[in-house]
Amino acid sequence: MTGPAILLLLAGLGAIAWVSARARALRLQTAARETGRRDAVHSLPGYHGWYVALWTLIPAGIFLAVWANVSPGLVTQAVLADPAAQSLPADAFSRSAILGEARAIATGLQTGAFNPASQALVEPYAQATSTYGVAGAALALILAFAGGAYAFTRIRPDFRARTRVERLVMTTLLVASLLAIVTTLGIVASLLWESFRFFSMVNPLDFLFGLKWSPQSAAMGYGNDDAFGAVPLFWGTIFIGAIIAMIVAIPLGLMSAIYLTQYATPTVRKWMKPTLEMLAGVPTVVYGYFAALTIAPALRDFAVMIGIHGASSESALAAGLVMGVMIIPFVSSMADDSIAAVPQSMRDGSLAMGATTSETITRVLIPAALPGVVGGVLLAVSRAIGETMIVVMAAGLAANLTLNPFASVTTVTTQIVQLLTGDQEFDSAKTLAAFALGLVLFVVTLLLNIVALRVVKKYREAYE
Amino acid sequence: MSLLSQAISDPEYPMSRPTRLPTDWKSDVMRKRIARRYAAERRFRLLGMGAVLLSAAFLAFLLVTMMGNGLRGFTRTEIALKVDFPASPLLLDPATITDEALSQANLPMVTGAVAKKALGGDADVLLSPTAWISIRDAIKADPKILGRTETIRVPASTAIDLAAKSKGSPEAEAEVARLKQLGVLSTGFNWNFLTASDGTDPTQVGIWGAFKGSLLTMLVTLVLSFPVGVATALYLEEYAPKAWWTDIIEVSINNLAAVPSIIFGLLGLSIFLNFLHLPRSAALIGGMTLALMTMPVIVIAGRNAIKSVPPSIRDAALGIGASPVQVVFQHVLPLALPGILTGTIIGMARALGETAPLLMIGMRAFIATPPGGITDPATVLPVQIFLWSDEVSKGFVEKTSAAIIVLLIFLLAMNGLAIYLRNKFETRW
Repeated sequence: MTGPAILLLLAGLGAIAWVSARARALRLQTAARETGRRDAVHSLPGYHGWYVALWTLIPAGIFLAVWANVSPGLVTQAVLADPAAQSLPADAFSRSAILGEARAIATGLQTGAFNPASQALVEPYAQATSTYGVAGAALALILAFAGGAYAFTRIRPDFRARTRVERLVMTTLLVASLLAIVTTLGIVASLLWESFRFFSMVNPLDFLFGLKWSPQSAAMGYGNDDAFGAVPLFWGTIFIGAIIAMIVAIPLGLMSAIYLTQYATPTVRKWMKPTLEMLAGVPTVVYGYFAALTIAPALRDFAVMIGIHGASSESALAAGLVMGVMIIPFVSSMADDSIAAVPQSMRDGSLAMGATTSETITRVLIPAALPGVVGGVLLAVSRAIGETMIVVMAAGLAANLTLNPFASVTTVTTQIVQLLTGDQEFDSAKTLAAFALGLVLFVVTLLLNIVALRVVKKYREAYE
Repeated sequence: MSLLSQAISDPEYPMSRPTRLPTDWKSDVMRKRIARRYAAERRFRLLGMGAVLLSAAFLAFLLVTMMGNGLRGFTRTEIALKVDFPASPLLLDPATITDEALSQANLPMVTGAVAKKALGGDADVLLSPTAWISIRDAIKADPKILGRTETIRVPASTAIDLAAKSKGSPEAEAEVARLKQLGVLSTGFNWNFLTASDGTDPTQVGIWGAFKGSLLTMLVTLVLSFPVGVATALYLEEYAPKAWWTDIIEVSINNLAAVPSIIFGLLGLSIFLNFLHLPRSAALIGGMTLALMTMPVIVIAGRNAIKSVPPSIRDAALGIGASPVQVVFQHVLPLALPGILTGTIIGMARALGETAPLLMIGMRAFIATPPGGITDPATVLPVQIFLWSDEVSKGFVEKTSAAIIVLLIFLLAMNGLAIYLRNKFETRW
């Protein structure tokens, strides 16, 4: 019997269980009410229905999940016990190859056998598969009936079916919320584990403070000693994400927020705010393509025109400019929030003393909102340094340690993509280096976020 | 007598403090000073307006550039090819046209020969490598044309296509001029772009494969992240006791929302691929990875929506005897659902545009057939854009931009839907 058929059958059984249990609970409760004992009825009939249906489905479902993992092993054992398997070669590799071929033929994935030995095993394989399939289905059905019957006998007017069902609902909700912790642990564990393997090959100090990044030469066998110095990557990341992008995003974002909250008419605000937010909704791959196709060549021509040497068609400036534009709405909405949080009385006081609007903004609102703005900028930086596609497409791969914005630099995220999208051997330092870079990125963005949120929170409390 | 009137009645009082005359606002100094302050005010205001306009101008520039490049990607240059079927070296019996017979008829070669005859010289290079497909489809649609001469429109090669639409190489421009004189050039809507998948030649590629991959991936993401996200939001907002472990849950969710997307790609690579050995490049793992990214967004939006349901609703339901689970599932959740859905759509839109984590789990392979299910190798729209942007052939520029237009239209539609939902169902309590 096939998997979907069993699941369908179980679903049908569950529905029948629900309907019949509900009907029985309804009858019992009507009878109980007629005898005048209203207080003897605890749960609504629907809860009894759910109680029995869950008892029908859950044990059988758990059994099927376990069976799906166990039965292939049992089938293989049964096949190996067959007389036709006595002639199999002893070494594990060719044995499993023959078994695999037999399995493919038995399940219809393959029509003819290359190896006559596997042809002989097809018949036992099909037989064992169907035997264990039928056995599993039968056991699942028995469990479903047993569970359902047990629950069915418990239906009584005063049985607390609702409490039981609700307990399961609560457990489900709790398990769902624990998934967030599991994901975080998964990230930390996988990054730590792979980085640990990397640092067993490369000295962590060489990695963190080395000035030369050339994983290709390490892969070609020149040794790992001075090929994994990540400082040029860190510098490229900071140069693009924390310097160039912020030079674009902070003034534009802050001034946009000020104009839209303090000066603009409601109509302008209503239209311009979503327009600016669209900048954050454009996928990063589109920004990357735009930077590589339009901005970078224009900047290179400009650099050549004003006579700068070493201008590259993939420049830090192109990536940084476009990334800055992407970050504008982020800075602007954080600034918006923190300016709005400044008490109205401070603004009124300043205006009443005769200050103009701009004087009020620059001397009262901004200083008062500064911690919030700084927190917002930190969050923006953490987003900018974790951004991948723009730098992959526009910043280049050359690990230069340069101050020239027209030169090509590379970033942590670019290198992660670069290291992991070639041919992968999972034991080489080259591949594992990506996880070490990922760990650094994760830790830095995490710290930035913690600091930023703390700054913002502290400042909010000061005015509340 | 009060102090004040005492002071006023005291003739000595004004003399006891330094005199301060009322400010003469009409004086030259003050006028200049006020003019300066007002000028500063105007400058500041213009600066703000400039910042807004500059940002908007950048957006407009981006969209216009993409439109300018991309709209051409939806059209293709076609050459009207006069095919004299009886005289062609094509060995096909009109009575028995099957797929097999067509595939054995060596149509690509025949097409080349026919083109040389009809257009002269090396005309077979003027046609797209997929030109024979148009002829095959024409034969399939009406086998009777095999007995006569028929004019069939076939796609032109990339060089001709570029030269006809904008600027191509001098040779191609010359050929286009010659073809125009023959009167065989025309421009048609490129249906192939919407129905085909990735390919090696710009004239034959389409986005259907990537689009289907995106749909399957989004389906997996939605099915996984929505129930878990809503359940988490309900638990944290309605039931969670104040304890150290609920704090940990909260901190992890807030952190996950801020973790760079590429880190999720590393997680998917090391856990889903290397540890669980799930099928590589499949929509299944793509969806699982994006679901981990989308879930915190749904949780945060869901919690805000649940928080905005007033406590009086809960109190009223509890007051007439509902259990806490009944209160939440029969009253709070339905009221919070529009807000949760808005957040979900925004999270899904972000996931739809995401590229980096999918590169990590191998969804950048060249895949020329649309995926049949969630375990088949697939690619998605943003990754397809990334792959095409790397192509050297110039014909891919307009295809990349056209794919970007399709992606942007979908994102716009999703965000529009979210805004519509928010406006329609937003309740002020």
